[in-house]
Amino acid sequence: MATVRNALLGVKQRLRGQGNPTVAKIRRQRALRDRVWRGLPYIKVLLFTVGYLWLLVIPSSRLGQGTYIDENALQPGQVNTYWNWEEVHRADKILADLEQLRDRNATSDEIAQYAVTEFERYGIPARKQQYSFDAAGEIVNGTNAYAVMQSPRASGTEAIVISASWLSRTGEGDGTLNLRGVSTVLALAPYLKKYSLWAKDLIFVISDGYLDGMQAWVTTYHGETQPNLKAEPLSLRSGVIWTALNIDYPGHSFSHLGLFFEGLNGRLPNQDLLNSVSLISRYTVGVPVLVYDHIDPREDRNQPGLLPSWLPEPLKTNSDVQEYVTRARNVYRHMNYQARGAASGVHGLFHQFRIDAVTLFAVPATGPHGFHALGRILESSLRTCNNLLERLHASFFFYLLVAPGTFMKIGSYLPSVILVGTAMLFTGLGEWVHAGWTFATPAPLAGDEKNEKSASSQEIGGKWRRRSRPVLQPIVIMVLTHMLGALLFFLVNSSWFVSNVQINGPILAALFCSIPLVFTIVPPSPPSHAPAPSVLKAFNLCFASALVSITSVLNFSLAATMALFMGIPLTLATPSSLSSSSSVRIAKYAAYCALALGWLVICPEETRRAIWNWDVLRVWFAPFVCVVYVPLVLQAGLVCLLPS
Amino acid sequence: MDSDPDFAFPALVAARLLLAFAPLPDALKYDQQLSSPLTSYSRLREGIYLFQHGIDPYSGGSFRHSPLLLSLFSTVLPLTPYTSALLWTAADAVAAWALVRIWRLRTGAKKTSRDRQIAALYLLNPYIFLPSLALSTSSLENMLCLLAIMFACRGRASASLLALAALLQLSLPSILLLAPVLLLNITRPVSRLALPQPLDAPLKQAVPLLAEFLGYTVLLTFASTLVCGNWAWVEKTWGASLTLPDLTPNPGLWWYFFTEMFDHFRPFFLMVFSVHLLIYVAPMCIKFQHDFLYAAFLLLGVLAVFKPYPTLSDPGLFLTMFSIFPEIYPYLRHPIVTALIHLHASLLLPLFNSLWLRQGTGNANFFYASTLVFGMGNGAALLDAIWAGLRIAIGELKDGFEIAQE
Repeated sequence: MATVRNALLGVKQRLRGQGNPTVAKIRRQRALRDRVWRGLPYIKVLLFTVGYLWLLVIPSSRLGQGTYIDENALQPGQVNTYWNWEEVHRADKILADLEQLRDRNATSDEIAQYAVTEFERYGIPARKQQYSFDAAGEIVNGTNAYAVMQSPRASGTEAIVISASWLSRTGEGDGTLNLRGVSTVLALAPYLKKYSLWAKDLIFVISDGYLDGMQAWVTTYHGETQPNLKAEPLSLRSGVIWTALNIDYPGHSFSHLGLFFEGLNGRLPNQDLLNSVSLISRYTVGVPVLVYDHIDPREDRNQPGLLPSWLPEPLKTNSDVQEYVTRARNVYRHMNYQARGAASGVHGLFHQFRIDAVTLFAVPATGPHGFHALGRILESSLRTCNNLLERLHASFFFYLLVAPGTFMKIGSYLPSVILVGTAMLFTGLGEWVHAGWTFATPAPLAGDEKNEKSASSQEIGGKWRRRSRPVLQPIVIMVLTHMLGALLFFLVNSSWFVSNVQINGPILAALFCSIPLVFTIVPPSPPSHAPAPSVLKAFNLCFASALVSITSVLNFSLAATMALFMGIPLTLATPSSLSSSSSVRIAKYAAYCALALGWLVICPEETRRAIWNWDVLRVWFAPFVCVVYVPLVLQAGLVCLLPS
Repeated sequence: MDSDPDFAFPALVAARLLLAFAPLPDALKYDQQLSSPLTSYSRLREGIYLFQHGIDPYSGGSFRHSPLLLSLFSTVLPLTPYTSALLWTAADAVAAWALVRIWRLRTGAKKTSRDRQIAALYLLNPYIFLPSLALSTSSLENMLCLLAIMFACRGRASASLLALAALLQLSLPSILLLAPVLLLNITRPVSRLALPQPLDAPLKQAVPLLAEFLGYTVLLTFASTLVCGNWAWVEKTWGASLTLPDLTPNPGLWWYFFTEMFDHFRPFFLMVFSVHLLIYVAPMCIKFQHDFLYAAFLLLGVLAVFKPYPTLSDPGLFLTMFSIFPEIYPYLRHPIVTALIHLHASLLLPLFNSLWLRQGTGNANFFYASTLVFGMGNGAALLDAIWAGLRIAIGELKDGFEIAQE
């Protein structure tokens, strides 16, 4: 008993130290605070390094796991398919008709009328829908055709959409026609009508244009209005759309099936849908699956190599390196779509209404597959979607599809950005603490104070003193810069700007670089107070870090881009010391201005597309850049510029 | 700062009126963070409709407002888009005015340069004006609460107790404020945080006040019963705070817990959660017996964190009330951490709510996680307020000294 008590006492003494426990506690707290404060620069560097390295290793072949079907009801590839040469023949005939329409430059209305006739010939009710967008100065007109096949077995409360747009997604809608995709849908409709097993309504949509037609149709279907859209109401209705398959078949034949899945504002479809389609394509029909249209150069010698030719041969033939590059290409393309909030195909428009959708892209090639394979893939995929008893919910909504059949879970890539965000947060908090202290040379009367100085606060010839930190002024500056960002967005979105981006871009950039110079008239704070730029830097970093970490949950790619553009630059912004000349300060400010507003000058085409995306598709990338990103970087510029 | 609040205050109210009449999306009225089942405007309208058509609104499960609101809005003040926008803005204006009055009574000054800031902090606090734009009746509760405290500070006991009794009719958990408001009536609201001393006012004076409060409560309760013609309203309104029948998500901590609960544990945990609220009253009132206004402020913080059906205006009221205690600012331990947690929470709450319910890519756990962050932010603010309120009594420290908490 006594030994136990002694042991316990020993442990207690170890933990609490000798002597007065309160004193020991205070000592411990001080030591910890000291250690954290001294280690802060290293912690920051460590967090930044690990965060950025993590972003770099995402495509590594050592990471990622195989895809799998999570929803048991799906049962992909468990059915016999009956799509056969008869249907292929019908598709060929339709294709011939469509080519005639194309050759005589038929109007949208004629094409839609042809589709409606084709649907109605087999007793499927079909209608046309005319629409017009007034998008940033230009007017887009078109006509959609759609048909609703009532489910023979259920009340039609749920529906599946099978769609094809008139323009293919090739070159993000560069004008290539999707004739075979449209023929597939038109041939599929009468074929599917023969079966009585459908538990969902099937809606066939032939949308005009690339994205505009489907946007008009899908918003009208959901009863949403858009101020710049005039669209006929839909007279045929059906139930809630759960899934949508969009078919894109621009070439003569195809070799691989490419999956495009990014939706507006970075939303992704449930992974079960992708996995089902790719499983069916690979094992039921025998068509290899790709992420996007990226054919692996290791499989096809005609493809250009991904590695630069000057690399040493052993590195080029290393399988890990090759795998890394292949994956990196997929991740880069994914981030490009997701960060901009752009849809990678017509399917992306469905996501805004909580519909899981994917584009099946028949990668153009000289062979070996055609209507026969595509029809079977679609038939089997539709049967799988038909099996659903509830919306797709089981599998993942947040993932990175790094290779066909390999993906990364959110937990394995999210920490990269969160770590960068944390590093920014620590920098901001450190700056805040730093702003609260000043190193003062001892006052003449300090003689009798000498005894009270504790060892930690004593320095040669000086002493750390607390000083008060002005909070209101930096906050006002921040609020005003964000309001300035809102003004910038208003101007960028106006028809004046869009009419001539090349010239108006630099004008706006110059204007918005010079407006914040107004803040230089703010008088520097008295020496008893912390300088406003230090507090501004602290707040700027804390706010930016909060935005980076929170955006990462919604749109990882956007957050990663923000982490790249803001992480290091915002940290490097240092309040000017008294010695630095005004030219240095202005040069620093100009650098931040270039980072904040350079896009207005360098990429006018990108700007125009972002504005179009906002105007027509409500993608909030453009307002986000103007109202969030630009002001934050300008604030960092002001940190360097303002007199302290 | 020019000291002319007479001009600033109307300008602020006018700005709020403009906001109230601005074309805002209707979805705001159905937002779960801005109005709870007990304060929702659409439910109030439904109840009034049923009431006017001779159907007992308390026979269903959707209407949970007090019969007093029912009678008020079905007779004297019909709710139209215009009257309700005006009325809710007016409620906030009165509340802001009451807060400014409390501040003046606390400092003993007629007019101070801080008046404007305090009014602006109340009227422009997004946690307060967003629920008000959504026409959540929590704005009316906030007004009654501040009126009760303001009258208590002025020593107008009857008005104060009447306001508190009316507040109790609207929301049962506000009973927590009874003790500090009663005691505030018999003491003075000036700041004595820095010089704590034992309570010198005779406690016996509080007994008739308590009786008066009970009288008002009984009166209002019978008035409510008269309006309805039966007692069904008690279970639907007060009972809802105790039995949590409606598990619509809200920014509080109760709903998720009780969606996950097995039914046979429900009564026990309901009791624990409800009693847990009450245990704070005595310690707060004893520890801050020199300053009951501060005790009331802390109890509002407790309500903001642990109330069964909170909306954003409950934490909003608590956070705004920080503005009338500037003496504690130098003693706050981690204001920036609290502010950052609130920044994160206020971005996460709407984001995760829409990920779950609009985009469909998230689920209930996402939103619950964000309410936990929010609760942590409010809890941090509350703890820091308690710490600073006690710490201020020790005053500035000389170099080399430290405060230790035993």
